[in-house]
Amino acid sequence: MGKSPQLRLRCPAQSQYVAPVRHALGAFLAALEFERQWREDVTTAAGEALANIVEHAYAKQPNDGERYLELLAKLDRKGRLSLEVCDGGSFVQHQPVPGRGFGLRIIRAIAAEMSIDTSDGTCVRMTFARKR
Amino acid sequence: MSENNSIKVVRLSGELEIARKDEIRAALASAEQVTPVLLDLAGVTYADSIALTELLRFCIEAEHEHRRVALVIQSPQFSRLVQYAGLASAFKIFDDSERARAYLDDGEGR
Repeated sequence: MGKSPQLRLRCPAQSQYVAPVRHALGAFLAALEFERQWREDVTTAAGEALANIVEHAYAKQPNDGERYLELLAKLDRKGRLSLEVCDGGSFVQHQPVPGRGFGLRIIRAIAAEMSIDTSDGTCVRMTFARKR
Repeated sequence: MSENNSIKVVRLSGELEIARKDEIRAALASAEQVTPVLLDLAGVTYADSIALTELLRFCIEAEHEHRRVALVIQSPQFSRLVQYAGLASAFKIFDDSERARAYLDDGEGR
């Protein structure tokens, strides 16, 4: 059996790169023949995690450091899609602000599983049940 | 952006996401303190929570000022985003502009 297909992207953590990364993920899922609504939901969740990096991850770091975002999508052995969206910044636990903070709520509504690892930068890990 | 009769129309299209945050804010700012307002988002193909937050902020402020706002959303992704965020009851959403205009023309609840 061949290796499971993977998509790995890394680019500057700037807002103009969020849509191209999201589009690349959508094209990857389309190549795997996943159905449209499911692709849209997965890319929506990815878009939230990516935008969160651009908005918050590097707010407390000097401008001269490397500010990047990474996305890794792969099918696991059970045929589910796992998605990691990571940065090298600092995780900031914000106080809840009314009318803000919908990103994680949206991810939780879409993903079968979601966790946040802050041991080295921040990684949002999501798993999506497979649909074709 | 356009105005038809007394309804202020703010029209946005394409992908409403983080890179267009300033543009979204500016478009909504053009309709501050105006009533009624039709946010015609029928041409939006994708939206994220940042766009949603700007829309919510605008609608909350309008509600506090007793101004009427209706949204036209046709993209399934955008409709589901609103549901996933738990904001379905925060907006007056219509799937076509005729219904939205009828709601705004009606004046109920002004």
